[in-house]
Amino acid sequence: MADPALAADARRERRFFLSLSLPALFIVGLAAILPILWIIRQSFLTTGGEYSLGNYDKVLSSGLTWSALVTTLELSFGTLAICTLLGTPLALALASARPRVANLLMAFVMLPLWTSILVRTYGWLVLLRRDGLINAALTDSGLTAEPLPLVYNFTGTLIGMVHYMLPLFLLPVYAAMRDIDANLIRAAASMGATLGQTIRTVILPLSAGGIFSGSIIVFIYTLGFFITPAVLGGGKVNPLSTRIERTLSTFQDWGSASVLGILLLVVMALIGVMFLAARRLLTRNGAAHA
Amino acid sequence: MSWIRISLAAFAISAALPVHAQTVTITTAGGDYGNAMKEAMWSPAAKELGYDVREETLSDGLAALKMQVTSGAVTTDVIHLGSPEGAQAAAQSLLEPLDYKVIDPKSVPDGAKSDYCYPFDSYGTVMSWNTKTYGENPPKTWVEFWDVTKFPGRRALRANAQDSIEIALLSDGVAPADIYSVLSTPEGLERAIKRLEAIKPNVSVWWTSGAQSAQLLKDGEADLVITWNGRAETVKKDGGAADYTFKGSVIGTDCLGVPKGAPNKEAAMKLIAAMTQPARVAKLTDFIAYGPVNPAGYEGGLIPEDRLKTLATAPENAGTSVFSNADWWVKNGEAAQKAFDEMMSR
Repeated sequence: MADPALAADARRERRFFLSLSLPALFIVGLAAILPILWIIRQSFLTTGGEYSLGNYDKVLSSGLTWSALVTTLELSFGTLAICTLLGTPLALALASARPRVANLLMAFVMLPLWTSILVRTYGWLVLLRRDGLINAALTDSGLTAEPLPLVYNFTGTLIGMVHYMLPLFLLPVYAAMRDIDANLIRAAASMGATLGQTIRTVILPLSAGGIFSGSIIVFIYTLGFFITPAVLGGGKVNPLSTRIERTLSTFQDWGSASVLGILLLVVMALIGVMFLAARRLLTRNGAAHA
Repeated sequence: MSWIRISLAAFAISAALPVHAQTVTITTAGGDYGNAMKEAMWSPAAKELGYDVREETLSDGLAALKMQVTSGAVTTDVIHLGSPEGAQAAAQSLLEPLDYKVIDPKSVPDGAKSDYCYPFDSYGTVMSWNTKTYGENPPKTWVEFWDVTKFPGRRALRANAQDSIEIALLSDGVAPADIYSVLSTPEGLERAIKRLEAIKPNVSVWWTSGAQSAQLLKDGEADLVITWNGRAETVKKDGGAADYTFKGSVIGTDCLGVPKGAPNKEAAMKLIAAMTQPARVAKLTDFIAYGPVNPAGYEGGLIPEDRLKTLATAPENAGTSVFSNADWWVKNGEAAQKAFDEMMSR
């Protein structure tokens, strides 16, 4: 058993380290917790200023809320699926490239992150619209007779969102893959594993943590996306965020908008918990494999 | 002699200190429109009154107004709103009553009068089209706009029930004068929504801002666009392959109000009165095709003859139009918008 004096020392040290986080906690409390509490209060207030469950009743019984939720989840899962399909091989390529090449490729990946989301979204409009660059190239080369409907719909919105999220997904995955001990891969190869087997049984399990972190980031960001669906969706793609905007600007109904905000928060929390649970399960399996 | 000394001293002090001009803050929608209002209306009025006017721009005036008033932090003295929003704001007591001792009550026709938000200009929600697609033979009525076999092409409509449901009823053969009595029945609203649902597969974009609608028209992204006449006129004037008609337009007005608890209420009333003088609202048409509400603005050649036909309220354009009914929208707006949104999500 440990010496009680040593234990007390350790406790004091822990307390000191915890106290270092106080300024940050204070800011988080001020900037995040307080507004949320205010929104929760607002969600129970009628336009007349009385407390009631009326807003919840109104929002949760409306089909519009649920169709907006479905659109939100479709966009998030769609973005995640494409990011995983595109991002994982890309991360693998980056992690196995020589450092100089990897750094150069990384710069290309990060470049869009430094550009404002508005600029990028309108950029896609220029590329994707009916007489935009892509459609002009397709019809001029005779590949398609008619311009393809690439924007002002779900497809266009998804393209814009994937473009935004891909670097953010890539970073943790790349970090996880880079940290894999090269000896493990060599060992797998020396035991006669094919490339596919190595990826499946060594690389993917060991980078599962990174893939999950990336997935959570994609989810948290995309659930609240507003600009991309608003610009590239052509009014036809209406997730919860545009529902909130409409409730605020057309109806000035802050109570109902607050309920929608809380709904978004609950969905985010639920999905976050699901991801964390799945991650714990899978990384444990991964660790067992290794 | 002492009064001379005193007045000299006062003169010296007032010369030494910066002159404290009355400051007034005005909130407009910005863009070309906001700029037009500045050049034609409030800038000359401010000069005349000796006010120091500051401009804030917001695309969503009513939401901002509500936020300022309910949080008790009113920073703007004059706010530019659409008349339905003005009526809504008045119903939620977000505006001060207008002081018609300062503002000339005779400058507004009876039908448009408001106790809270002063209507100063008018616009039409019109049908516009790509002249490359339709050449000399565009749709001429809303019935034809809805006829997708005779006039194939991509449509763009505003993602809002306002004006859209009026137009939907016009397309179903309802006479302009009967629009609101039909809309006031439950079947009437349903009828309008059904008409919109019928054209929905041919709508490629539901736009959310006037600038966006102009872009769609200009780029040829849509062949038929329902937009505001000022936007269509600008595209046409800039050489875009576009034209538009006032036939069957829905005429709306924009208004100026004073937020409840505005810091410079009295000065705000004076500024509204001065910036809406006939010559100034007529001058606004130099910049944007939104005509005066004040009949005096059309008199005495203040607006050149050839420009009159680009204005929704010009006498020759008024026959087939519907005047947007702000009171109807205050009472039924939420239900109409909800029905519209449900149609969109189907």
